Order: sequence, then C-alpha cells, then structure tokens
Amino acid sequence: MKYIDYVQLNPFQKFWYNFKNAMIALPSNIGKVFKAIGRFFKKIFVGIGKGFAGYFTRFVKGDWATKLSYIIMGFGNIVRGQIGKGIIFLATEIAFILFMVTGLGQVGLGWSGIYNLGFFNNGKIGFHEKAYWAVDEVTGRRVHMPADNSMKLLLYGVMTLVIIALFIVIYVAATKSAYKIQQMKAAGEKPQSFKEDISALLDEKFHVTLLAFPTLTISIFTILPLIFMILIAFTNYDQSHNFFQWVGFETFGQIFATTGASALKGKTFIELTKWTLVWAVFATVLNYILGMVVALMINKKGIKLKALWRTLFVVTVAVPQFVSLLLMSQMLDFNNGAINLVLQHLGIIKEPINFLGDLSHPWIARITVIVVNIWVGIPYTILITSGILMNIPADLYESATIDGAGPVRSFVSITLPYMLFVTTPYLITTFIGNINNFNVIYLLCGSAQQSNELYRAGYTDLLVTWLFNLTTVSGDYNLAAAIGIMVFIVCATVSLLTFNLTKSAKNEEEFS
Amino acid sequence: MKKFVALVLAVLMMASVLVACGGGNKGGEATKTDTPKGDTPAAETLDIEDGAKLLVWSADKAVDLTKKLCEDFKAAHADKNIEIEVQVQGEDAAATQLLKDPDAAADVFSFASDQLSRLLKADSLAPVFSAEDVIARNSEDSVTVATVDGELMAFPETCDNGYCLIYDKSVVSDEQAKTLEGVLEACKAAGVKFVIDAGNGFYSCMFPFTGGLKIDGIKDDVQQFNDYNEDEVVATLKAFSDLFHKYSDIFMSSEDSRINAGFQETPHTVGAGIDGPWNVTADLAALGDNFGAAKLPTINVNGEDKQIISLHGFKYIGVNAVSKYPYAAQALADFLTNKESQVERAKAVAWAPSNEEALKDPAVTENAALSAIFEQKQYSVLQSGIAETFWTPMGALGNYLWQESANDEASIKAQLEKAIMLIKDE
Repeated sequence: MKYIDYVQLNPFQKFWYNFKNAMIALPSNIGKVFKAIGRFFKKIFVGIGKGFAGYFTRFVKGDWATKLSYIIMGFGNIVRGQIGKGIIFLATEIAFILFMVTGLGQVGLGWSGIYNLGFFNNGKIGFHEKAYWAVDEVTGRRVHMPADNSMKLLLYGVMTLVIIALFIVIYVAATKSAYKIQQMKAAGEKPQSFKEDISALLDEKFHVTLLAFPTLTISIFTILPLIFMILIAFTNYDQSHNFFQWVGFETFGQIFATTGASALKGKTFIELTKWTLVWAVFATVLNYILGMVVALMINKKGIKLKALWRTLFVVTVAVPQFVSLLLMSQMLDFNNGAINLVLQHLGIIKEPINFLGDLSHPWIARITVIVVNIWVGIPYTILITSGILMNIPADLYESATIDGAGPVRSFVSITLPYMLFVTTPYLITTFIGNINNFNVIYLLCGSAQQSNELYRAGYTDLLVTWLFNLTTVSGDYNLAAAIGIMVFIVCATVSLLTFNLTKSAKNEEEFS
Repeated sequence: MKKFVALVLAVLMMASVLVACGGGNKGGEATKTDTPKGDTPAAETLDIEDGAKLLVWSADKAVDLTKKLCEDFKAAHADKNIEIEVQVQGEDAAATQLLKDPDAAADVFSFASDQLSRLLKADSLAPVFSAEDVIARNSEDSVTVATVDGELMAFPETCDNGYCLIYDKSVVSDEQAKTLEGVLEACKAAGVKFVIDAGNGFYSCMFPFTGGLKIDGIKDDVQQFNDYNEDEVVATLKAFSDLFHKYSDIFMSSEDSRINAGFQETPHTVGAGIDGPWNVTADLAALGDNFGAAKLPTINVNGEDKQIISLHGFKYIGVNAVSKYPYAAQALADFLTNKESQVERAKAVAWAPSNEEALKDPAVTENAALSAIFEQKQYSVLQSGIAETFWTPMGALGNYLWQESANDEASIKAQLEKAIMLIKDE
C-alpha cells in the first residue's frame, strides 16, 4: 500500500492494516530472533573451536619445555625464569588433582561426584536410600545413619563440573603462557618478572583484578544454583522421592500431556499459561494507558495544585505493596468485607459478591485482580511518565491544535508515539515483571481459588504462583523446575522479539 | 588510591558473602553395626550426654509452660550441664520448618498428627528409645497412630486434636444442637451465622467421612481409602450442599477464628460453629454462661439422621533424627510428655492429656469442650496414615459444596472423583 493510500484510511483501518502486517511479519521476526540466538551460540562454539585449534598449533610449534608444560603446568615458565607464575600454575594443577582424587574428604566431590552425577539414576551402586539406626560398638549407643542425600550428590557433582571447567580455563592459559614466554625468549625480549605481573594487575590489567571477585561470586551464587535447578527438572524429585533419579524429559512430557495420568497437569499448564499471558497484557497495557491519562490530566493547563495531586497519587507508593494488597484482600472478603457491606447497605447488590473465592465463576476473581492491580500500579506509571510528558515540545501540540486536531487526535498522534518510543524498554520489563507478578496474585487470592479442576492450582494462579504452590505445598520440585524453565523460555522469547521490533532498538537517534 | 578502594570494596563484597556461608564440621564416625528394624534393645536407659545443648520448639500458647518444664528437667539432671533453648514455633508448621533444614531445626519439637507422614517420609523422626514405658502410659489410640512397622516414632502429648460444636446457648438450645438442621434453623431465627471452615481439608473431610468414606493408610506413597459406597457418600455430600444453599445467608465458610470473633461482637454475629479446643478458652471467655459445647450434630440424609463423623488427631513431641544429643533429646521428650507434665499442660492451657491417668484429672473432666471432643471421638476417623496430598483437594471439595449452585448428584460425584484422584496422585 502506498503512503498516500495509508494516510487516507480511518484509524481502525490503519490499526487493522498495521496489525495484519505485523502478523504476516511475525514468523520471519521470530525466525530472526532464533537466528540471532543461533549466531550467538555459533560464535561461542567457533571461539571454543579456535581456542582448541590454537591449543594444538601451540603444541606443535612449541619446544620441549613448552611441550612438557602441557603435562606439568608452569614448567615452561619456571625453566625460563618466571618462577612465581610457574609455581602458581603448578600449585593449581596439584590442587586440582588432589581435589579430584580425594574430593576434600566429602563423598560426592571430585571423581566420585562425576561418577554419582552419571550413575545415581539406578540406585544400585551402594547408595543408602533410607536412613536407619545403628548401634555404636564402643559406647553401645544408638546412632542415626542418614540416607544419602541426592540433593547433595547432585550439588557436589555440579560443583565438581564447575571446578573442572575453571581448571580447563586455567590449564589453557598455562599452555598459552608457556608458548608466549618461549616466543619472547626467541625474540630476545626479557620476560616479565613476577613482580611486574602483579603490578600489571593493578595497572593496565586492573579490570581483571576488579572483575575477578564479582565473577567468582556470581559463578558460585548464581550460575551454580542455576545449573543445579535446571538439572532438577530432569529428575523425579518430588514428595515421594527423597532419593531421586534421572528421568530425562519425562517431566516435560507431563507438562504437555493431553491424555493419560498426567492429563490434568497438562491441562493446568495450558490453562494457566493462557491466563498468565492475558493477565500480563491487561496488567501492563491498562496500567500504562490509564496511568498516562491520569498524568496527562494532572499536567493539563489550568489544573491548580499540580504538585499536590501528583504527591497524593505517589503517596500510595510509600505504603508497602504487600500491606495494601492484604488490606485489599480483607476489603474484598466474602464474609463481611468492607466493599460487600458498603454495596449491600447502598442497596446496589442484595447478595454479597464472592470477589476472590467464587469457584464456579472464576472470571470474577480474574477481573478483580486486574482491577486491583490497576489501582496498585497506576502511581508508578504516573511517576515515570510525568517527567517524559513534560518534555514533549509544547509547539507540537500548538501546531496540532492550529491544524484542528482534538485532544484524542493529539494523544494518538503525538503523545502516544513519543511515549512509546521512550518507554518501550520499560513496557517490556513491566510485561515480563507481570508474567512473574507473584505479589498481587498470591497476597490477594491466596488459595481462595484452589480448585480440583486444576492440578494443585487455582484459576487466578499465574505460572509463577503455581510454581510456588508446587514447591512449598505439594513438593513437586521437578515439575516446578520444568515450569520455571518454560517460563524463562516464554519470557526470553517475548522480550527478545518485542525489543528487536521496537523503534528504540532500530533507530536510536530518532526523537533526539 | 581509587583503585585500592575499589579493590577493597570488591574483596569485602565477596568476603561478606563467603563468611555467611561458613558451615560446621562433622565429627568422625565410630564403628557401627546395624540393628534390624523393630529389634529394640530391651529396657534402654536414657544415658544423657554431658553438656548437651538442646533446642526446643513449642507452640506460642504453651511456651511459658514448656520453659518451666525444661527448667525442671535441667534441675533433675543438674550434674549433666544441659543447656536448653525454647523457641516459639507453631505446631501446624513444625514439619515445614524442620524439613527446610533438619540440621538447624529443633532437637525436640511439638507437632500435630497431620504432619506425621511427612516427617516419616523424610526420615526426620528418631524412634522412641524408651518405647515400652511410653506405650504403657499413653492411650492406645495415640500410640497406634504414631507406630510404624512396630516402632513408636513419637511421644504422645495430647489427645484432643479434633473439633466439636461450639454454640451460644442464648441462640441454640441444647436440643437444637443435636441436629445440623436444628442449629441452622436456630441461627436463622436469631439472624446470626453458623461457621464451618469448609475450605479447609481438616474440617471439610467431615462431609465425605459422614457418608462412609474412611482412610485406609498409605501404600506405596498412595493414599488408600476403604471400600466405601460411593452413592452413599454422594448422597451425604448432596445433603450438606443442599443445607448450605438453603441457609446460604446463615452458613458461613470462614477460618475457625471467625467463630470467636463473632462471639465477641455485640450483638453476637455468630450463633454456632465447628471449632477446635485451641479456640475454646477464648470462646468460653466471650460467651460466659451461654457457652455450649457438644459433639457434632446429625444431618438428615434421605430421611435418616446421620451422625457427622469428624477427624480426630493427636499432638506429639518428636525428636529430630539428626539431633547431636539424641539421648538427652529423648530424655527431655520423655519428661515433657510424662503424666505430671501432661496434667500441668491441661491445667495451664487446657490441652487434654494422652496419658490415661492424667485424663482422670479434674482439669480435664470438668472441661465442657474437652468432654464434647471426647464424646465426638467415638464418631471420628483417626488422623493416621493421611497423605500430605489429602488436605488441599479436600478443601476444594468443601468449597465446591457450598459455592457451586450446580449441586446435582452427577456433578458432586464428578467432584468427589476428582478430589480422590488428586489425593491419590498416582
């Protein structure tokens, strides 16, 4: 369609036209996102491949000292005068070998960790699946012999894997260093002394020093648990399996089951995914639009006491969210809740409305949580948008008025595009935040919507609150982990897709 | 200088995280021989470890008493230098808290029988070393429930974890309190509410139980039910549902604390409710002379008056299996559940003893609510061998009965089947 035709369309036709185009382009856009992900992984693998290639060429080109460094780390450095560095490499190697052999005296670390990780699925190789009481021969007292803790075994196995990965990095660095010093000698340069290396860490390599600690802590406290939790999804760890085993993709099969014993889990997953997306769209869009409208109203010329109105709205932010939500939940209570009582006294309703607990009409509770969320969320939007709104050049509005545009027209053609451009990243984060909006749903509904039509869930449960129920109430840990992975995939796809489509990503210079 | 500061900050950040994670070391292991299960060494003396440090969890209401009893215990074993710390931990969540981290949890803790299966599944309970003695002094029911494969796994503490009908005598006459229809009619006449926590599986299981459903233990992690007559259960559920709908403005499904709140309001907004002994002291204080307690009423199912069947449980004191001082913990648990301690508990917080002799104490026999609960006990299902999956689907079934207007037999039957399927969770 040519531009001239497009301009002549009415707003609905325009919307339909854009919507149609977006839908047609959607598959290719999704494809693009996956291609980008593919490129990312390709880069990583190519990098690793190059590293290995370098590893072998260095070995071929290296002299005897360098070659020996491939077995005895740091040998090349020591021979050529970098004693301090060489000793550190050597010590690392010795420590690693000791760790792998002895496992620091802990069952499950080191080699046994790798062994357990691979084999604890069949439970036949000498694990204690049950705890028991033994009698100490010396004192004659009873002693508790705990069962093997497969959580611990899995955790230690993962820890061992991470340590091996770290060692490989250091090992490759050692071979590199040995080759480099060989080349330096060949070129007649004087190799850096240990002191110089250390001072380099405080000078031109200061970034390495600074980042070392955070990287270490992130690996221990973020990446390791993440790998651990992902692995849980592939086990049968639940209420009835304290000693759990690998089951592969069985849990994911349960999530997508439509028939058989797991049909209810599959149905619950589909039902809750649908509701989660509906909720996320409504919670995001309504809060955004309504918050902006309120902010616009406050900003309007001729409104007195602007600061007061703004403050009044923002004061609600000062009350902790969980307090206002629990209060709201009390007010909406079926038995003598304030809202029901007021409506009854005013004669608007005869019977009290079960806002949050009506199982036969779950949409009542769903609408209620969306409305309450608007009330909770609008102040934040006002806060964020007022500043940007005041920045829109007033002359744009003036010229629009002169051209005969009404308030709606100005909003749609000036305010909205401007705001969308600036706030799209914010919208995406809000959308993702709403997919995982635990507080509003959990504090408002609790278990009021629990239904036997769904597997350990209620109609207002989001995937994340279902996950919470599964872990804290019914102990289906593997199912919860699998759902967590699914939620991550949904969130990642949606945010990558939308962000890549936004103007802010495509054209960063516009509107500046 | 700036670099130095940045570096120090980075190190501090990591150090603070690492310090928080320091763990304790475990001592070496001695040589051990296995004892086959059930083969308890005869007449074991509880030889308390020297310098034992014990952590005790007690319910909020009983915490002062527990502290006092612990002091008595220390005085009785003054030569052993025992240290005891008492912390407040509700019995309803004791298992949850303990299973989070058994190593950091209490050595001796009080819990209700609904958590027994969870604790057993996680192997978190130490068997009772002085079993013979404990079995001899406690009521048979309380011992049976906590016995697994011939081994007693916890010390019985109370025997009153059930519920009964609590009513305001100025609203409901003793005669009316005999039938559910009578209670509801009386409440309707006075314009006050009748409260059952129908969304809570602990209470709502009385609906199917009245229809003949019973629990038959757990087999291979699956809850078993007795061979029940489904039509009879459905008919009973329908009778309940019909009553709740007929008196929809009188019947209120709310937490049991609502009953006491209603008694305290002037004028009273609640006329009667099904409540447990934990609220009874407060109910008595609110109602005074009008306080009435009776066994659960009957309900008319197709012309026949059926006694409502309740769930009856016990409270136990358990010893953490991973306690560092198992013998001291066993001795303390034994002391906290002996006859004298149980009588003191009955006097202080009106918890009925599981000890047969302590039950004859006037503090128990003169308590109207406890008498009502004991009367109800003969019409009850013992809270034993209940899977953890039991409660939520039961609660949802209860909610369905009073909420859903489509309460024909076919839909109720479908709901019952769904609930049972979810409880079994095969």
